[in-house]
Amino acid sequence: MTPRRAGRNSAPGKKANDVEDLYILIGSAVAVAMMVAVAAWARIARPAPALDEASARAMLADEFPDDAPDQLWLAADGCGVVARAGARALVLFRLGDSWVARTLAWEEAVKAPVRGGKVRLRLRDPAAPVAALTVSGVNPWPPQDDNEAIAA
Amino acid sequence: MTLDPIIPPFDPVTWAIPVFVITILAEIVLGRLRKAKANYEARDTATSLLMGLGSTIAGGLTAAVVVGTTVWIWQNHRLFDIPMTAWWAWVAIFFLEDLTYYWFHRLSHERRFWWASHVNHHSSQHYNLATALRQTWTGGVNGSWLLWLPMAFLGFPPAMIAVQKGISLVYQYWIHTEAIHRLPRWFEAVFNTPSHHRVHHARNARYLDSNYAGILIIWDRMFGTYIPEDDKEPPRYGLVHNLGDFNILRVAFHEWIGIGKDLLSARSPREVIGYLFGRPGWSPDGSRETSASLKAKWQAREAAKAAEPEQIAAE
Repeated sequence: MTPRRAGRNSAPGKKANDVEDLYILIGSAVAVAMMVAVAAWARIARPAPALDEASARAMLADEFPDDAPDQLWLAADGCGVVARAGARALVLFRLGDSWVARTLAWEEAVKAPVRGGKVRLRLRDPAAPVAALTVSGVNPWPPQDDNEAIAA
Repeated sequence: MTLDPIIPPFDPVTWAIPVFVITILAEIVLGRLRKAKANYEARDTATSLLMGLGSTIAGGLTAAVVVGTTVWIWQNHRLFDIPMTAWWAWVAIFFLEDLTYYWFHRLSHERRFWWASHVNHHSSQHYNLATALRQTWTGGVNGSWLLWLPMAFLGFPPAMIAVQKGISLVYQYWIHTEAIHRLPRWFEAVFNTPSHHRVHHARNARYLDSNYAGILIIWDRMFGTYIPEDDKEPPRYGLVHNLGDFNILRVAFHEWIGIGKDLLSARSPREVIGYLFGRPGWSPDGSRETSASLKAKWQAREAAKAAEPEQIAAE
């Protein structure tokens, strides 16, 4: 709640305030671009190495502490994992240097389409509508054998 | 000395913009040089800063209504004439505004309608000075500004309220950092600090819905929402269900879209009220997680862990 500065009710005063606000906005936009460029240059994101089975299980245990995943499917690039826990699929995928977790029905997950080398899991959540995980010939989707752990 | 009771002598937030830029650059450089704990991911930083920029534009669109209502209340219905030049008036508004902020912030976390506006501020999985600027675009339309009207009704001039709100916002900027571990004990006891606010931004079940303070942490201690940072369990930042991309429109509006979808499926007035004003995660059949259910599960796991050694010893 910030009322304008001088001359709020006069036309010249209003114009001067509008121009000042425009300068502040343009200056802020330039500053944003500069800060993002410096953040990219600095390369100080958290390390987020590709998942292997052990790291995937550790991360799943953090995100889904009440579930006991058995079958594990790792994305070909290590940027995601789908684990089966009973009738549920536990999904974890990388976003920048962080991770995003969701669940969906296992039956729904195995029917997810593969397009452009990625399996697209519909998560039915406006906050994260889709998880797209890389598939390869070594670890096709859906997992070929439901009874055995499949890891790339 | 006379001060205009309606037009603030200065806007603390505008004045602080150069400080925001310099300190963010300094935090990045110190992180790069490994002189301070700081992680920045470029797209996450861009999202935070663009949300901040968009917030100033969105705030401008609703400012006329907010300012106009405040001025109208003060001009026509105030109980007392509180002078802007009296020292005691500034002391009083400092405490009153901070108490108002505490309840506004608590409401913004514990009721979904207001959480829908505030959620974006918590949507980064990073905790750095740029995260502080990840501000709402919809705060002006959710009516939470009404909570500040009683101050105008009491007689605090609108300019004074605006300046104090700005001071509070600027204070809360610097606490969004991992570079500062703990401050002197007396300071941690009275003021909101990086340590207290890290807990507030954490998604660990044990830390949820805590430390709502603006400037003074005393309100959390008084109202039972204070949780100290435990070095054995570092905060993991972000939302219980984190966002799936860096799209700023999703950051700004995803919870509103979620509310809309839920309202379309509501089958009774009770469900409409629950989806709008229930706790975030409320659902008619209790199938979704709320902060309370997540905390209860965490406590059950902790109790089970504690019981394990006793069981083994008994066997």
